[in-house]
Amino acid sequence: MSDGRVRALVERFGRACRHLRETSARTGRIARWEVRRSAGTVDRKTVIALVVMLLAVGTAGFSAADDGLGLEREIYVVGVDEGSRYYDVAADSEQFRPVPLADVIAEHDGATDGDDIVVRGDATVDVVVTRDGRIGHVGENGAAAYDEFRTAIETYNANLMADEEDHAAAYPVHVTLEYRDRDRPGSTVSGGDDGDETEAQTGAVDGSNETGDGESAADDGGGDEPLQVPAIGGGGSTPSTGTPGSIAPPFPFTSLVLAFLFVVPMNFVIQAYGSTIMDERVKRRGELLLVSPASRSEIVAGKTLPYLLGLVGVVVAIALAIKGGPVAIAAALPIALLFLAAAFVGAMFARSFKELTFVTVTISVALTTYTFVPAIFTDVTSIALISPLTLVVMDLQNEPIQLGEYLFSTGPFYLSAAVCFLLGLGVYREEDMFAQKPIPAKVLDAIANRVRGPWSLPLLSILFLPFVFASQLLSVALLFAVPQSVAIPLVVLVAASVEEIAKSIHVYAGVTRSRFDATLRTAVVMGALSGGGFFVGEKLTHVVQFVGLPDLAVGTAAFGPAVSSEPLVLGAVFLAPLALHVGTAICSAVGASRGRAGYALGLLTAVLVHVAYNLGVFVLVA
Amino acid sequence: MAILEVTDLRKVYGGFTAVEGSSFEIERGEVFGVVGPNGAGKTTTLKMLAGLIEPTAGTAAVAGHTPGDAEMQRQLGFLPEESPLYEEMTAIGYLEFFADLYDVPGDVARERIHDSLDRLDLEHRDRRIGNMSKGMQRKVAIARALVNDPDVLIFDEPASGLDPLTTNYIIEFTRELSDEGKTIVFSAHNLFHVESICDRIVIMNDGRIVARGTLEEIRAAHGGTEYHVYATADGSDGLPDGHGPIEVTRENGQVRHLVADMSAVEAVREAVEADGGRVTDIQTQTPSLEEIFLDVASEPTAEGES
Repeated sequence: MSDGRVRALVERFGRACRHLRETSARTGRIARWEVRRSAGTVDRKTVIALVVMLLAVGTAGFSAADDGLGLEREIYVVGVDEGSRYYDVAADSEQFRPVPLADVIAEHDGATDGDDIVVRGDATVDVVVTRDGRIGHVGENGAAAYDEFRTAIETYNANLMADEEDHAAAYPVHVTLEYRDRDRPGSTVSGGDDGDETEAQTGAVDGSNETGDGESAADDGGGDEPLQVPAIGGGGSTPSTGTPGSIAPPFPFTSLVLAFLFVVPMNFVIQAYGSTIMDERVKRRGELLLVSPASRSEIVAGKTLPYLLGLVGVVVAIALAIKGGPVAIAAALPIALLFLAAAFVGAMFARSFKELTFVTVTISVALTTYTFVPAIFTDVTSIALISPLTLVVMDLQNEPIQLGEYLFSTGPFYLSAAVCFLLGLGVYREEDMFAQKPIPAKVLDAIANRVRGPWSLPLLSILFLPFVFASQLLSVALLFAVPQSVAIPLVVLVAASVEEIAKSIHVYAGVTRSRFDATLRTAVVMGALSGGGFFVGEKLTHVVQFVGLPDLAVGTAAFGPAVSSEPLVLGAVFLAPLALHVGTAICSAVGASRGRAGYALGLLTAVLVHVAYNLGVFVLVA
Repeated sequence: MAILEVTDLRKVYGGFTAVEGSSFEIERGEVFGVVGPNGAGKTTTLKMLAGLIEPTAGTAAVAGHTPGDAEMQRQLGFLPEESPLYEEMTAIGYLEFFADLYDVPGDVARERIHDSLDRLDLEHRDRRIGNMSKGMQRKVAIARALVNDPDVLIFDEPASGLDPLTTNYIIEFTRELSDEGKTIVFSAHNLFHVESICDRIVIMNDGRIVARGTLEEIRAAHGGTEYHVYATADGSDGLPDGHGPIEVTRENGQVRHLVADMSAVEAVREAVEADGGRVTDIQTQTPSLEEIFLDVASEPTAEGES
């Protein structure tokens, strides 16, 4: 390499470093002033209210995770003597408060000759246990209290059995539970060394396999495989024994509630963040920042940084408080990032603070649902991995997390956040940010601002893939429990619709915002480029193979069946989607070139073709 | 040497052309007025110069830098028509923020801010901007435009909506800035202000420049000075070709000859005296910028004129 070239490289590197330094400095200044300015808008009362609210949420969260909500504590009163064998039932149950029998019934000795129990007029009691062991109920709540008392008796008995050292006496029939992933094929081997191995019964929801009818084997060390029985309500997987009635799906309540604590502050922070972005737009206040030496991206980064750092701080603090590890923090960060990105783009599209409220509430509900609902199934199915919160739950349960699982869970969040910021940044300019347009028009403006020449179309198709991926994953998660006969057609329809919109919306935006001529030839070229780009990008979704989602029927409906190993089939399966995506994208593009109604018609046709294709492939290959 | 060069500037919003083919140059230290009716394209032009709006076509450069270039933004001070301020900040805090953003060292910034506010006679500097009067807020906005000590100032309607006292104060302050050598691009609806402080002017209508030059040049091109010659006799018949009066009327027993230049005045005098009469009075009448503006703005814009 010549000296001149080296010098040029060094100069270029120096310029890049200088630019980076200046950019960082300006971003930092805007961030610093954003903090100072925002602090000026919050009065002392609001600060106190916020602190009180955060403390309340934190306390409620921790206590709920620790003890449950306690809403049903001592809601019923039981009249029972201490000598009764039912006294301990009432005393052990949180729902019941025992009171002496003499305090509630009219007879002096508590025994009645007839069938009726006579309760004193001034006594407050729901259930009465007579001295001869009969149980009755009184008052409006009596029937419900009676049912609960029966349940409490069963629980008490089960606990007694569990505490019994001689398990053979306590449990004449030994049941071994092993919770396994629902999608993993194979049967479970019974735990008893002399028990009969029976056919596995796969639960519809709980994912458990119940097998075996062997004898009690408290001292025999179990069966051929290690026992894995998640602790009910505890979130762990500590082996335990119990009655068949105690079998329930694993529900990591504690970890789930603690993981939810990460999401709670995000809902509040985006309100403040959305307001500060909106604040720049009302009365054109952001105009003067735009004429400063700071670039648009520096302004947005500067305004976002304090909120992002604030959320990072909160996430780290929560992780420390609940003894979460670095994985919990790394999993919560992309959620925070997407919350901010969605709030940013929402604030850029909203026309007023009223509209912004609607937008942020929608974001809160949608993202909280997306993150929280799948995490409920952490111990049940791989679907749960679509939410990074599942990683938090897993981390809190000390379960190992693979890199592939982390990327699968968080990838769509990182990419969606990046695309949201990109779209919002596109309209962060004088011509768009102060214009009063409906949200759909703003969305089209934002997309159209990224349409710069024909080659931007395939790129945008790829950029929209995270949304496609997230939408399809969400549809799989939401329809997971629905009967497959209903779920599969719905998932196929949703998947096709989302993909067709992702392939055509930027073409439509480009045409309506005069980025292209609305000729048939141009439409065909645009459609082909967009469809081709989408095909390339779609291959990225094969990451789902790593986590076994296509093994599920609804997963197959959304992402397609696993590819055959036959070369001919492999080739056909590879090329057929290309033809599909290009063909349907051209269909939508031609419609888009004919205006709004034409686009709707073209899109509908494309969706129908796509649905027919998916169902065909599903029937033929799967 | 021109500090600001604008070449074939064009801005189209959807199907609407806001500015069409504007070209002009502004010399260093000049006060350049941009006038025109509402919707003429003045504000769009100024925003394109400030780098706020990207032109559809054409270029604008400040000292060789194009809009959007950080270096150009440092040399520019922009005062928009409204005062979009952060109302929850104090005047000092707000100005310090922008000084920081323009890389002005802290001590220099403080001195400059207080100097500007002293000159603008702004009191209660630690008061929140939201609690200030509109005039005070405007002064803060002007001080903000000066915080980076720019070479070029773009003032869009600097005295819009203010009381006459504050308006005069701001116009005088603008004049002082011009005297200090600042180049100022100035837009206002009050043409008296434009007339009083601008060295050169462009008049815009329907997105096009329809008149340009110094006030005298514009007057000459769009109805210059008129002369009223009062005489005891009618001298219009004796005028040579090309000096004919624009108008001849009788007022209070005298004949009023309205002519366009001094040579016509002389010709009228000679003709009246030849007829045995005499000239009793000569009055000149210069059209105001407002009259020219109304005249020009009411004319349909010629396609291609710029």
